[in-house]
Amino acid sequence: MSTVVTTAPSSRGGLRHVVGSPLTARVLFPFVVIGVWYLIYYTIDSRIFPTPQEVVVFMWEEVTLTSGVRYGSVVSNLYGMFLISIARLTVGFFIALGVGTVVGLAMGLSKSVDAFFHDWVMAILAMPALVWALFLGLAFGFGHEAPVLTVILAGIPFVIINVREGVRNTPKELFDMARAFDVPQNKITRHVLLPSLMPFFFAAIRYAYAIGWKGLVIAEVFGSDRGMGWTIKFWYDAHRAKGVIGYALFFIIFALALEKLVFDRLADRAFKWRPKMSAVELAEGDFGAVAAEGFLVVEDQAGIDATVSKGGNL
Amino acid sequence: MATTLEEKAPGVRSAEEERLIALRRRDTRRKWFWRIAGYVVVLGVWEFLSGRMLNENLLPGPTRIVETFPQLIESGRFFSSFGATLTRIGVGFGLAFLFGVILGILTQSRWIDGFFKDATTISLVSPGLIWALVGLVIWGFEPQGWIFAIFMTTFALVTVNIAEGIRALPKDLMDMSRAFGVSTARRQREIVIPFLAPFIFTALRFGFSIGWKVTVLTEVFSSNKGIGFEMRVASQLFRMDEFFTWVLSFFVFALFLEKVVLQRYENKFFRWREEVVS
Repeated sequence: MSTVVTTAPSSRGGLRHVVGSPLTARVLFPFVVIGVWYLIYYTIDSRIFPTPQEVVVFMWEEVTLTSGVRYGSVVSNLYGMFLISIARLTVGFFIALGVGTVVGLAMGLSKSVDAFFHDWVMAILAMPALVWALFLGLAFGFGHEAPVLTVILAGIPFVIINVREGVRNTPKELFDMARAFDVPQNKITRHVLLPSLMPFFFAAIRYAYAIGWKGLVIAEVFGSDRGMGWTIKFWYDAHRAKGVIGYALFFIIFALALEKLVFDRLADRAFKWRPKMSAVELAEGDFGAVAAEGFLVVEDQAGIDATVSKGGNL
Repeated sequence: MATTLEEKAPGVRSAEEERLIALRRRDTRRKWFWRIAGYVVVLGVWEFLSGRMLNENLLPGPTRIVETFPQLIESGRFFSSFGATLTRIGVGFGLAFLFGVILGILTQSRWIDGFFKDATTISLVSPGLIWALVGLVIWGFEPQGWIFAIFMTTFALVTVNIAEGIRALPKDLMDMSRAFGVSTARRQREIVIPFLAPFIFTALRFGFSIGWKVTVLTEVFSSNKGIGFEMRVASQLFRMDEFFTWVLSFFVFALFLEKVVLQRYENKFFRWREEVVS
């Protein structure tokens, strides 16, 4: 659903029409935020709270590498830190995807395996990333291990749950028919199992990545000496509010870009062939809520859905 | 009605039914067997790792945690910490929930929906950590700091769930009430809110599951009591047994609230509905 349609203001509607359109409201929002920012600036008694201009200048200096702050080596700028974080995220993400898919398939195919893992998957899902970050930081020191392991632990339950649910939702009749017509096994896998697994797998990727990112920054704050999470903590420790807010904005920009430019596009491309399906009919069992909601996001491009955080780690 | 041909004596099952029941019983037994096996294996591996593979002080085993638990209760900090954290959750998430529900209901207006669209998206995709730090750096240890952090991470979750319900509103009822000139306020009270009730409950449950995590996170940075504070102190003093005991006791408590208490109320309230949506 797209509530914000680019409404061409008709000449008859006039000014009132333009002001009343949802698009105007959406454009208005950032200005209101800046207004509130100034309101806070003038009302609270804080010597470090920056104005929007200061933050923009700070961010610009970070982007163009002209701030003059260099901590040690060449990689210690915005791009270096960002690349380190992305590399950690990607490594952890692929490990989570690999292991999670295997476990998820096994859980979907066998009830015994499902009973074996179920409660522990739920427990890992509900555990805050903060706990992993603090523990792994102590266990492994300030290397790459703690952040990568946190990404894996934060993302893996989403992969397992979604893959499991995908296997369970494969239409049985199609299997039966394929077998009746003597279709070879590899063809069944390719044309029946994989396509029906796809949406769930896609939801798994999306959430594992988003949740992994949230977990990663916490792990970098407590268990690392570099990366984006570490950098925002650096500015916090330095008591530079503009640094903290500036980096917070970098985080938001990154997350939004990832959602809008990568995942929304991928979803459009991956599911063009598919007829619309209602998510409700997929919700079955206690895992169902999570997986079906994840699925719903794929189907319904209403933007980011509730599921992002559903039982997710911060 | 004519007498049926096969009139069964009550209490006597056919062979087919017997077979089905036996099958189901076997399934349940097998399921429980594997479930218990899962617990035994995971706890066993954990107990084995602690002290043998990893230093016992780094990863205390389950038995150590069970032993530490009564010590924490004796220390007297246990209940006050729980109280402090629960108060924060109550205040922070309470405000976010209230605002989220109101905003969700207001998304019926496309203008308001457009206005807050980016706010909800941003709140959903950004890590809770940044709000905790931003709140802290602006307000210091004042309550506004952590309220801001909890609010920013959870309100959108509530809003999105409510908006989901708004989208599913029965259109014919709304159209009819409009055609008969029912006032907006009355329409909200008599159609929208009753229809949204299950969604509000779901929003509460999901919001809580995120809310307690971000609350603990804010306590790590900006508090002198509460679970998050105790976790930080324990990990800094390398008392990992205390660390895990704090974490796990609150973890179990939060899961109990979420999965048992809230879920049960939800089921109880909406059993009359044919399908509980979402």
